[in-house]
Amino acid sequence: MIELLAPAGNLPMVEAAVSGGANAIYVGPRGWSRRRDQYEMSDDEVHTAIDIAHGGGAKLRVAFNTNMQSHEIAPMLQKMERFVSRGVDGAIMTDIGAIAEVHQRFPHLTIHASIGANILNNEDVRFYRSIGVSQVVADTKLTLKELASRKEQIDVGIEILIHANKCYTYLGKCWMSPYHRLERTTDPFGKDLFKGSPNRGGLDYRVCLESWELYCGEEQWEKSVALKNDAFFLLEDIPHLIDLGVDCLKVQGREYPVPLVERMVKFYRDLIDAYVASPKGAEPQPFNLSPWQSRLNAIQAQRDTARSDGTRLLLNEARQPVPLS
Amino acid sequence: MSLETQAMSQFELNTTIANLRDLRESDLRDYDGVYLGDIYCRIYEANFLEQLGDLKEGLRILQDQGKRAYVTTYAAPRNDFLPKVRKMLEASAAAGAQAVEIHNLGILKIAHDEFPQLPVHIGGFANLYTAAGAEVLRGLGAVRFTPNYELSLDEIQEITTACGAPMELLVHGKMPLGISDYCFLLEYEEKWGVKCPDLCQKELFLKQGDWAMKSVGKGILSGKDVCMLEHLPRLLAEGHRYFRIEAVSESPAYRSEVAAVYRAALDRAAGGDGAVDEGWWDALRRHARIGLCNGFYFGKSGMDYAGIRPDSIGSLLTISRVES
Repeated sequence: MIELLAPAGNLPMVEAAVSGGANAIYVGPRGWSRRRDQYEMSDDEVHTAIDIAHGGGAKLRVAFNTNMQSHEIAPMLQKMERFVSRGVDGAIMTDIGAIAEVHQRFPHLTIHASIGANILNNEDVRFYRSIGVSQVVADTKLTLKELASRKEQIDVGIEILIHANKCYTYLGKCWMSPYHRLERTTDPFGKDLFKGSPNRGGLDYRVCLESWELYCGEEQWEKSVALKNDAFFLLEDIPHLIDLGVDCLKVQGREYPVPLVERMVKFYRDLIDAYVASPKGAEPQPFNLSPWQSRLNAIQAQRDTARSDGTRLLLNEARQPVPLS
Repeated sequence: MSLETQAMSQFELNTTIANLRDLRESDLRDYDGVYLGDIYCRIYEANFLEQLGDLKEGLRILQDQGKRAYVTTYAAPRNDFLPKVRKMLEASAAAGAQAVEIHNLGILKIAHDEFPQLPVHIGGFANLYTAAGAEVLRGLGAVRFTPNYELSLDEIQEITTACGAPMELLVHGKMPLGISDYCFLLEYEEKWGVKCPDLCQKELFLKQGDWAMKSVGKGILSGKDVCMLEHLPRLLAEGHRYFRIEAVSESPAYRSEVAAVYRAALDRAAGGDGAVDEGWWDALRRHARIGLCNGFYFGKSGMDYAGIRPDSIGSLLTISRVES
């Protein structure tokens, strides 16, 4: 049975995800995941999240998927040890050194290679398998054909992002945001938050969404150029993904309002259940996605508003001077 | 020992060249080594990575000039790239390439498993952030490392102190900021009357206010040129010996004139003199349309310049002082 993985940026969102029907939930310890720290959790909150998820029959994954500093690996391992002893079900990670260290220390812990690992080809997957990863998040730009090839050739779990945005650049291979604004600041526990670097601290100013003028030398050729950043929802692809045998559909949105996340999770729960229960005989009836599209449109509008509001604030923040340290 | 050999034993200055035409037009006298190939796009004009006959010829030209002959590889290869990558690695090994630069861990695995005789340099898109990561890469044959461009000099030093991994640092040029599978420039072919593969060879900048990035289609680069000219004594003192002038999207004049500055400055710095000539600044400023920056080397926003000579640099720079 395909797994539905939901985000949680706070404890009410964990509860909402469980009640919406998520099979698994991911959270980020403060300062260590690819989201702004306000959408992350204290260690105590992570412990509570584990209890809530397990109480509802769901798994809980913890995201340590920033590219950390060399000296941060030791404290990361200490945190991981506490979460493992509390019963966390898996870790989402990016840095290859950190992955290797965690696999060595906790060989039975399931490690998921994050979207930030930017795993693009089957040989990439084999590399990550070799250092201890058992499930990989597929890059948002991969085709169904590429996913099918991966599923056929390699013994690895595949996660697909749904309800996400396809950036112009490959995720994990972009530092446009900190090029324009990077603020080195530490949290009360001494963790460097690298504000402005999505790879290192999770906060992305989304500068790629600025309305860019294009110049050839000193001559303006275009007044406004948009770098593609399409939302994609993969509604029509979801039946194919289930048939293909992907292991997990992942909903993103730790920064969204709790009711929106609950609606998103409930929608995909219902869709997956309905498709799985639909007749699959020798001559199966086509699965009618029309009513699902109507229902998704309302969620999509709410989600697009939340995202565009967030983008406007981030671009404004990116223009603010960095405080002198 | 000749002067050139002496210099090569102290440090290496290298660059990147995408095709045979650019290689033939470039004066390489001040370089010790060259990486051949464009990492962003398979249809970049006559890309060495697709034209294996040209690649063989390019390696021969470098070898005849006594240069270290390296080959780079694609930064974001999908499955359909890999057959060609294997052929390219095979051709590189057969033609005597001294190392292959690798940005993708899948290609690293191929090189390690199938071409173990080829020394591997890790490229900036491979996302080396930690000493533990360097150890993993070493286990797969890596002998030199370009850390992710986001790392500061202090963080790089933390890696070298922990594991002694030799680092290659971008000291001048446009810093890579991102890579895509999509070239938005193609949307404008008809309107501009410029076709691929000429499009991305124009000097194209995305600008908004004081922000600027250079576009090479699938690649996004810094608008400003990273410049570490006045910090070379620190780099040498910290044990760095491999320095890159990133000029794959630049003219032959840029390639040679910037190299002349850095060759002279490195020679002087290696002798214990960190003074910077006014003429060197003039040369660098002439080629930096948007200005100069330090990338992330001082833990600040990548477009900032932290230096001791604010009067010597462009007007669009954010100036701050650092202890160097």
